[in-house]
Amino acid sequence: MAQEKTYIEDIERTLYDIKNVDKSKYKSQSGLTEDIIRDISARKNDPDWMLEFRLKSLEVYNQLSLPNWGPDLSELNMDEIVTYVQPDAKMTGSWDEVPEDIKETFDRLGIPEAEQTSLAGVGAQYDSEVVYHSIQEDLVKQGVIYTDMETALHEHEEIVRDHFMKLVPPKDHKFAALHGAVWSGGSFVYVPEGVHVEIPLQSYFRLNAAGAGQFEHTLIIVEKNASLHFIEGCSAPKYNVTNLHAGCVELFVNDGARLRYSTIENWSRNMMNLNTKRAVVGKDGVIEWVSGSFGSHVSMLYPCSVLKGENAKCEFTGVTFASKGQNLDTGASVIHCAPHTSANISTRTISKAGGKATYRSAVKVTKNAPYAKCSVNCESLMLDDISRSDTLPTMDIEGDEADIGHEATIGRISDEAIFYLMSRGVSEDEARSMIVRGFVEPIAKELPLEYAVEMNNLVNIELEGTMG
Amino acid sequence: MEKLLNIKNLQVTVADKEAEDTSKEILKGIDLQVNKGEIHVVLGPNGSGKSTLMNAIMGHPKYEIAGGSLEFEGEDLTELKTFERARKGIFLSFQTPEEIPGITVENMIRTAKQAVTGENIKVVKFRKELKAAMKELQMDESYAQRYMNVGFSGGEKKRNEILQMLMLQPKLALLDETDSGLDVDAIQIVSNGVKKFHNEDNACLIITHNTRILKQLNVDKVHVLMQGKIVAEGGPELIEKIDKEGFGFLQGAE
Amino acid sequence: MNKEIFSEIPMRTWNWLGVNEAVVDKDLLVESQNLDIKIEADHQEKMLVEYRKESYGIVNINIGENASLKLTQLQLMPQDCDHVNEINVVLEKKARLQLVAVETGAKSFASKVNIILKGDKSQADVSLLYFGDGDRSLDMNYVLEFQGRKTVGNLEVYGGLMGESQKIFRGTLDFKQGSKQAKGYEKENVVVLSSGVRNRSVPIMLSGEDDVVGNHAVSSGKINEDKLHYLMSRGLSPAEARKLVLEAAFNPVLELIDDEALRQEIDSYIKERLENE
Ligand SMILES: Nc1ncnc2c1ncn2[C@@H]1O[C@H](COP(=O)(O)OP(=O)(O)O)[C@@H](O)[C@H]1O
Ligand SMILES: [Mg+2]
Repeated sequence: MAQEKTYIEDIERTLYDIKNVDKSKYKSQSGLTEDIIRDISARKNDPDWMLEFRLKSLEVYNQLSLPNWGPDLSELNMDEIVTYVQPDAKMTGSWDEVPEDIKETFDRLGIPEAEQTSLAGVGAQYDSEVVYHSIQEDLVKQGVIYTDMETALHEHEEIVRDHFMKLVPPKDHKFAALHGAVWSGGSFVYVPEGVHVEIPLQSYFRLNAAGAGQFEHTLIIVEKNASLHFIEGCSAPKYNVTNLHAGCVELFVNDGARLRYSTIENWSRNMMNLNTKRAVVGKDGVIEWVSGSFGSHVSMLYPCSVLKGENAKCEFTGVTFASKGQNLDTGASVIHCAPHTSANISTRTISKAGGKATYRSAVKVTKNAPYAKCSVNCESLMLDDISRSDTLPTMDIEGDEADIGHEATIGRISDEAIFYLMSRGVSEDEARSMIVRGFVEPIAKELPLEYAVEMNNLVNIELEGTMG
Repeated sequence: MEKLLNIKNLQVTVADKEAEDTSKEILKGIDLQVNKGEIHVVLGPNGSGKSTLMNAIMGHPKYEIAGGSLEFEGEDLTELKTFERARKGIFLSFQTPEEIPGITVENMIRTAKQAVTGENIKVVKFRKELKAAMKELQMDESYAQRYMNVGFSGGEKKRNEILQMLMLQPKLALLDETDSGLDVDAIQIVSNGVKKFHNEDNACLIITHNTRILKQLNVDKVHVLMQGKIVAEGGPELIEKIDKEGFGFLQGAE
Repeated sequence: MNKEIFSEIPMRTWNWLGVNEAVVDKDLLVESQNLDIKIEADHQEKMLVEYRKESYGIVNINIGENASLKLTQLQLMPQDCDHVNEINVVLEKKARLQLVAVETGAKSFASKVNIILKGDKSQADVSLLYFGDGDRSLDMNYVLEFQGRKTVGNLEVYGGLMGESQKIFRGTLDFKQGSKQAKGYEKENVVVLSSGVRNRSVPIMLSGEDDVVGNHAVSSGKINEDKLHYLMSRGLSPAEARKLVLEAAFNPVLELIDDEALRQEIDSYIKERLENE
């Protein structure tokens, strides 16, 4: 119990500090300046090299322009970027300010009250601390490190330094650079050689750490022949007052290791979700992505797998559900850099009520990857004729020993399937939602039960009122 | 005897809303009565309208009723939606069952059973029943967890239809060529399933080209459908005659 | 050299893939030869376009109601020339287009084809054969736009690549809102014969209409080993077997070329290149 307390106290102190920061001075400045970065860094007590890193990232950020492809980002006011960077605006909100529809969704998903306030960013505490600590003890015995990024930066500085933004360098794109400059919070996991973490780890830190959920950094290292299942987020809508999310996830899967990274993302509908996720996989290693995108106003999310070691594998399973007012541009990319690497990408997208869903992917096979194998399958379901569904895959293959297949379909729910279900006594509305749930089943079955149930609830909520 | 299904002068057209061409009349006045406890057989060459009759009874939206009446237990069916007809106790074993990815056989049947009975079905008891029924039909248990008909062979799809019939216990079972494309053993299994299902309180209307499935069943009445009309009716002896001579001798009957 | 964008895909993607636009020498685009054709309602026509000299050819076609056109376009440019070509077609109600395109020549070429299925029940069947060897560069951008109801569009592409050739094929099925009950199908099969090849494919499907059926499939791989084995077991040498398999792969397009002599010409042209490999 003593241990738990220390941890909670830390969190509380951070909160206290933030509450005392005078925010008005940020607001008075328009651009993102070196001073602001220095200030963020100082408050976080960064080592010098991290301050350097942040400042370099800022330089890169100022040089890069917005992507000339993908969804329209003009709603983001880049001149006022600093207003997005305000540390922890979400903590300053109050329960009263949380939009009604989000509160309602919490209730219907059956999320307990304490958790609701936490998810909405107005509560400081979350019951899972307790859960977290009991897990922690067990993991410590096996040598697993699981902590928040700030703590890791101080307690495991060398490891962080060797890996931080090595996979996603700031020059990758403007939001990666922004992330490098202002990142805050996130999770750090280190699994030593040969250790199999039996229970899925969840990113509790997101909910609590300062600035978390906006520019959080996730760094996971799974050493040789070790394995881990990491779950990011949950299906309740996360509400932030500020509306830019530019997180970064870096996953190092070493030889023979296996990592499953699951996400059910349901950001509130005002969020611009520009998240960068990348994994590098060693010889015989496996990365498995399970990715559900339901929330946000605009998303750009394409987890990338770099298959660097011979025989490395990637499995990607994704579901995207775009509804009214949403433009969800999601997908995946795979880079085959070694012989006999293989990848399987399977995605489902649904669009309704004017929502726009885009599947975008890239499969690159380099000269060094003979006998690479990749199969891509994407299916799109449109629930009405005011929505959009676009599929834009690219394959770039060098060499003559690769075996690459791609298949995509687009369409609506078949009348015959509805008739079949109705002939078994199922009402028309239920038949439609059964078919939609069946459509996303490939991802549901990859999730732990409680998440699968939540995702189904989510689909049901989405479908209500639009069917029949 | 209690009347279950009562069809009078039924005319059915295919409604292709998009086509400029006028809709095509497929059934041109059908009369058919099925009582509780009976087994009826509909014979007829390909394209004569047998499946159309089944689809019309089940309320397929593509098939429009242009005239006549369609009653079940004395109640007009024509205004009821497909699922409402199913809840009244009508079951159709499809000639080509749909593949529905993502919905397991178990989930499908349990959902249907809840819908049809209006009761919450307890999982444990249900699983037991399902297992028993699958055993009866010599279906591997693992099929309960597979997606509806996805990757099933033709025979497996048909067995899956009969499985649903056994589990849902309808009052009237419509079997549209459930025995087509099956090998001898599979026909035997399906036929056993139908035999087990049939009792004094329900009825079957069977479309078939294969008289083998009828061997163990006590057929009450045979109807021969040609070009959208019933051209001959009789007892089981009609089956044998057609089996031997084909439909040729009936051409004149039109 | 002075470059200019010749064609772009309807929706951009990552720049590093280099597929967003086709860039060609400005000089190539200075002067074009235009061919404007209108097929009157209810007429049936056949046309043959051959490219054998350095040129920028543009073919604009309108196919009237109930009319049909079979257009065969053969690009058989010498190996040392660059080339660009363009086809734009609009189909009226119930109009039909059959496009047979062969791209086997030129050192470096870019082609764009834009087909608009404007009228209800119009249909376009496109068959494309491309073949690249040496250090040639092939760039193709095909777009089928579905506007009318019950429109049908098929895009079948057969390719063979060897040497150090580089190829980009972009094929778009674009279902516009209102194209109810449209059906679109796209397929690209590429056979890769040597390790120096760079092969890029961008099969795009865009939809603003739910009541459509769209499918696309791409397969890229080396020549089917089982087939080779079968042929060699009948006494063919590996080279002969490869030739035969590739010919078989191209047949769906070759057999659509009506002129026997032209078909022979393309066939022996490809054979000769295979010989030299
Ligand atoms: N959905 C449909 N659209 C158009 N024509 C149909 C449709 N269904 C059936 N038909 C036509 O109706 C006739 C009878 O078909 P069907 O009832 O399937 O015959 P059977 O089951 O006796 O072989 C055939 O000519 C068939 O082509
Ligand atoms: Mg039939």
